[in-house]
Amino acid sequence: MSDALRSLLRARGAPPGPLGEVRAHVARHGPPGADALRDLAEHIGMPVASLRGAVGYFADLNAPAADVLVCDGTSCHLAGADRLRAGVEAKAATRAVRCLGHCHASPALLVHGRVVHARPGDTAETLFGGGARDDAPVDVRCLAPERIVTRRLGRGGFADLDRARGDGAYTALDAALAGPPEAVLAAVIASGERGRGGAAYPTGHKWRAAAAAPGTAKHVVANGDEGDPGAYLDRHLMEEDPHALIEGMALCAYAIGAGHGVVFIRGEYPAAHAAVTAAVDHARRAGILGDRLLGHGPAFDITVVQGMGSYVCGEETALLNAIEGFRGDVRPRPPYPVDHGLHGRPTVVNNVETLVNVPWIVAHGPDAYRALGTAASPGTKALCLNAGFARPGIVEVELGTPLHTVLGEGGGADGLRAVLVGGPMGSVVTPRDWDVPVCHAAMRDRGIELGHGGIVALPATADLRALLDHWLAFMAEESCGRCVPCRIGSRRLLETVRGGGLDTGRAGLDRLLDVVAQASLCAFGQRIPTPVRELIALIDAEAA
Amino acid sequence: MTGGRAVIDGRGVVADGRPIIEVARDAGIDIPHVCWHPGLTPDGGCRMCLVEVDGAARPVAACHTPLAPGMEVRTATPRIEALRRDILALELSAHPEGALRPDPGGRDVQRLAARYCLDRSPHGHPADTPAVDASHPYMRFDPAICVTCRRCLRACEEIQGTFAYAVAGRGAGTRLVFAATDRFADGDCVACGACVDVCPTGAITDRDRAQAPAPTEQVRSTCGYCGVGCQVQVGVADGRVVRVDGVPASTVSRGHLCQKGRYAHAHHRSPDRLTTPLLRDGAGLREVTWEEATAWVAGRLAHIRDRHGPDAVAVLASSRSTNEACYLLQKLARTVIGTNNVDCCARVCHSSTAAALTAATGTGAATACFADIELARAIVVAGANPTEAHPVVGARIVQAALAGTPLVVIDPRRTALARIATVHLQVRPGGNVALFAALARALLDAGRIDRDYLDARTEGLDALAAELARDTAPPAGIPPDRILRAADVIGAGPALFVTGLGLSELTQGVGSVLALANLAFLTGSVGRPGAGILALRGQNNVQGSVDMGCAPDVATGYQRVTDPAARAHLADVWGVPPPPAPGLTVTEITAAADRGDIRAVWAMGEDLAQSDPDQERVLRALDRLDLLVVQEMFMTETARRAHLVLPAAGALEQDGTFTNAERRIQLVRAAVPPPGGARPDWEVVYDVARAMGAGWRYREPADVMDEIARAAPALFGGVGHARLAADGLQWPCPAPDHPGTPRLHVDGVARGRGRLTPVTPEASPEHDVAGYPYTLVTGRVLEHYNVGTMTRRTPSVGLVAADVLEIHPDDAAREGLAAGDRARVESRWGRTEVPVRPSRRVPAGTLFLSFHFPETHTNRLVGPHVDPVSKCPDYKVTAVRLSRGGPPRE
Repeated sequence: MSDALRSLLRARGAPPGPLGEVRAHVARHGPPGADALRDLAEHIGMPVASLRGAVGYFADLNAPAADVLVCDGTSCHLAGADRLRAGVEAKAATRAVRCLGHCHASPALLVHGRVVHARPGDTAETLFGGGARDDAPVDVRCLAPERIVTRRLGRGGFADLDRARGDGAYTALDAALAGPPEAVLAAVIASGERGRGGAAYPTGHKWRAAAAAPGTAKHVVANGDEGDPGAYLDRHLMEEDPHALIEGMALCAYAIGAGHGVVFIRGEYPAAHAAVTAAVDHARRAGILGDRLLGHGPAFDITVVQGMGSYVCGEETALLNAIEGFRGDVRPRPPYPVDHGLHGRPTVVNNVETLVNVPWIVAHGPDAYRALGTAASPGTKALCLNAGFARPGIVEVELGTPLHTVLGEGGGADGLRAVLVGGPMGSVVTPRDWDVPVCHAAMRDRGIELGHGGIVALPATADLRALLDHWLAFMAEESCGRCVPCRIGSRRLLETVRGGGLDTGRAGLDRLLDVVAQASLCAFGQRIPTPVRELIALIDAEAA
Repeated sequence: MTGGRAVIDGRGVVADGRPIIEVARDAGIDIPHVCWHPGLTPDGGCRMCLVEVDGAARPVAACHTPLAPGMEVRTATPRIEALRRDILALELSAHPEGALRPDPGGRDVQRLAARYCLDRSPHGHPADTPAVDASHPYMRFDPAICVTCRRCLRACEEIQGTFAYAVAGRGAGTRLVFAATDRFADGDCVACGACVDVCPTGAITDRDRAQAPAPTEQVRSTCGYCGVGCQVQVGVADGRVVRVDGVPASTVSRGHLCQKGRYAHAHHRSPDRLTTPLLRDGAGLREVTWEEATAWVAGRLAHIRDRHGPDAVAVLASSRSTNEACYLLQKLARTVIGTNNVDCCARVCHSSTAAALTAATGTGAATACFADIELARAIVVAGANPTEAHPVVGARIVQAALAGTPLVVIDPRRTALARIATVHLQVRPGGNVALFAALARALLDAGRIDRDYLDARTEGLDALAAELARDTAPPAGIPPDRILRAADVIGAGPALFVTGLGLSELTQGVGSVLALANLAFLTGSVGRPGAGILALRGQNNVQGSVDMGCAPDVATGYQRVTDPAARAHLADVWGVPPPPAPGLTVTEITAAADRGDIRAVWAMGEDLAQSDPDQERVLRALDRLDLLVVQEMFMTETARRAHLVLPAAGALEQDGTFTNAERRIQLVRAAVPPPGGARPDWEVVYDVARAMGAGWRYREPADVMDEIARAAPALFGGVGHARLAADGLQWPCPAPDHPGTPRLHVDGVARGRGRLTPVTPEASPEHDVAGYPYTLVTGRVLEHYNVGTMTRRTPSVGLVAADVLEIHPDDAAREGLAAGDRARVESRWGRTEVPVRPSRRVPAGTLFLSFHFPETHTNRLVGPHVDPVSKCPDYKVTAVRLSRGGPPRE
């Protein structure tokens, strides 16, 4: 991506989401060949090479049509997705994806767009021959004194606008619009909320920077690319409480002066895409979005954009590139999105959970929020326990709650060798550290990355070497290819381990991990070595 | 954030907000890098420029990390150096062993391999070597050594503006792509070579130099193609040109070149070159010595002059030749023969522009300069397609538009610039006057005119306003709201008006340019920075040839031959004054020859037979001459009819000067000697003049320029070859200490007051001709130059091998023509057959055809109409009809 290409598309009047046209083409005809690429490029107004580069980046735009998508996330991997896939492949066109966000009921499949939860012992015959099978509902619990994030989860039906409004949706926005934008900004700053996407950057500070950035056209982007295998909270929020997300975005837009928002939803979440799209349409028809927010605020509208199969697009600058129709490469920073984001304009990118907190903060005030959690990390955090726990599901706790409390809520951690926190770029947390408070700062002090808050049980019976291979393959395939250490280092890591590097030549492996950690451009590459090292330590401990 | 102090490797520096790598470079500290390149946006991908910053958790990339006040940076600690070595080892492991060999004198990556002593990667190498892509005649891509650094991509986007490159795939499968296919020649590349210059490994190289010996000599000169006047560095080995590169220090071209300037030089070595004077002997031509040729032509010219009078002789200078040669040829005509029958091919291109600008401003040249492109608040491109015909200027306009400068494009075709324009006004060919009137009316109606400027500097506003109010006929085929939008952009000016032959080569050519000048005055644009009128001259020295006096009514420096003071001054310099009455234009000369009134023509590098309209009459006229002398590099259609053919030196084979479209006089230096007996034009004119008894004495072209300075001191008094060496000089440059003049009319319009001129739209005689439903526009394509004499003798024919008729898909369908089918194109004046290409670049009803190939003879189609004032032919509007042609030619 370059500013020049963006300028060209703008000058040529290309549609704002040019890859949507390609997605539609792929759905009808499969991945575009040379002639189709030329036609699409001419139609969109994009140079043909640039279009090919973007198309060639996204798994969903390259892969032949598949009837069945088998989840290959960590939870599903541990639950035997490989064997399941081998069985399914013989019966139907199949493709592996990471991940469907159904980690509470692994392994999961998407059959013709419908989620199916496989059960132990399932084969292709039982999956396809046994008729339709319901999506197992997720168990939602709250240990915090106030339900904030999960306030409308597990209760059914709040995707509907009227029911959501009956439950208080848009009242915070309505009240806020009566006051100045600065009041919203001040409340969010005072709340001390930190971003829930992993970096834990103070939300209010981000908003303040975007509000202060020069320019009249600004954007708010909801990052619905919940990419960490093991996390599925945002999927549920988008499917079951999309109006909380829309309200959070509208409050952000009001606070920073943005007229347009985008919800970017990973392609592996078709139900979330449908729910948010419907909710946005409904909100627009109801006069909530559009020329005047709720009929008496400034103009604000939302576009929903579907992801196309890329883990790195969960990174905010890669996500912005994907929305604009470019490769999902990471942009060097600075400049930061708050100054130079979507279409080069000041942009706040927050993840879904972060935004869903906002209406609560505005409605109840920053003091009520700060009364929860810790001084450094106020509020609550909803964690996701995967199918490896006795009681999988979403658990909302006050930040600062010890991790073992959460694990206990999952039915205890007996027989677990460790838990995997924050996805494959997260951490392997052994029982020694289970007393750590659930809090980005406290965890980071111990070298643990909470990420999106997905927790995957690692049973004593797990094949650790297979898991290591699974992770390294994931990293090598998902690297965006922009920087050398990650692009080539991730591949060499996989080759080294597959070539016996765990048993011989450990020094070379260490050095490779060092380069990738020290030299990579973005957090993806920089974070590759940590969980890999932790898993290797576990493998070593097992061998000892 | 800026202005504080920081420290790099113990050295104190100013933290001015730029990236660490740039500040370090200025401080003499070279930080290793692969993907970074000066002037291109940082990429951040190679990670070789990692440096240590005190307090940072991990090394930071110097290319995209701004140096902040208080930072302490260390660029080459053992840890950083070890990290760089490991990163490079990873990169090398993606390439076949030995593909990127350490080479301390090599390109960036090979040099780094040497610095870090990496002749092979500890991670191993792929066994297979991918094949080199040599599908393109000028470019060569070697995937085995591409490090995916994207320097090529950024150069293509940020300098050239073509967007030919991208990377596809991800992870270790990330790779460079350049087309919808894996074949380089299938892509959008225009072969400007900017990517080659920045490639850090040589993965993208020029084919012309891949096998050639290294140059032993470098000669700086001026490109001999279009009127932009790019500076070239010509690499010579064994007496032949082995490569042409850009000159980064050049103000005009800033290191950039186009496909023709960089690569299309093989014609200099063509076996078709004329190398010996050829004298007609019965039906054939026989080789003669220069002595014989010179004596013969001197005798014949004297004989015809004495027998039929001086006005039976005419000379035609070449816009391809040097100022010095042009000056001497017109001097020979005026002082040795005694006629003002002097003209040049400017007549058939920008004579309308020159006439109109002279009438409106007092000076018939561009008021603005190329640097105004970057300064402009709004740009209007009218009747010009610079991305193909003036590519280096075209690229600058593209970049300005991408950087946000509002752009209005006025062109019947959807050109590359039209595609990125704020507003594209798809004017009917020849319909400019009505359109410009509508724009002027919109500006006046909205009050978006510069009243103070108009009062202070112009005259005729009331008459113009009255005329515009009287005739309010809207221009055909353009939605009124588009005109309002365009007026809105122009009204935010002052604006830069870039014009080309699409305004000039019309029966209402002068009127079109006058109407454009009205817009420039209304918006207060003439004489202002970032604004004015920039006429893109077609040939390398079309500006200079007229400046030198190759016109029938004005001598050197636009001094009127009828002006007593000018005549007296010229008599002082020349010994005799020019004849008192203006002579004939080129179109009048051929007509007079057809009548028998002109008996002798000396054509210096002008292929009348192919370039001029109404070709049948031209050929007949040439055949009637008693004497036709042709100086040429190749045996052209005109040369075939000559009594004497004199072999001429090419642009890379002679010394002198060219003057570009922004009035910049630049040095031309011989890089190689001409082949065989071919000689520079000026020497030949000099010898003939001396043989005719003129007492001329010039040792070299610099002496001629010194006389030019004396002959026209107001424009050239300060010009001398020694002063031109650095970056040329823009005229007027009246004194040795004068810096030259980037913009005209800054301190007042040359003619006193700028003249606003009401112009009444007139239909072209080629509009609405019954039975000829299509309107043909002729013009150039990027890959070829004029009648193709040069470019057809280069590998450029591998890119474009024929003139192709562009036709709207709906028209093609109606005519039953598919891509590649041959169509017969007929006008009332002639016909030709060409393959067709359905294209939405042309609107329905309009056709486009280039004129580069003799087998097409596009100009056979063009009629006899000329502008009544400038006598410029109407190449841009011809009524034609179509039918199916014969089977495709092999």
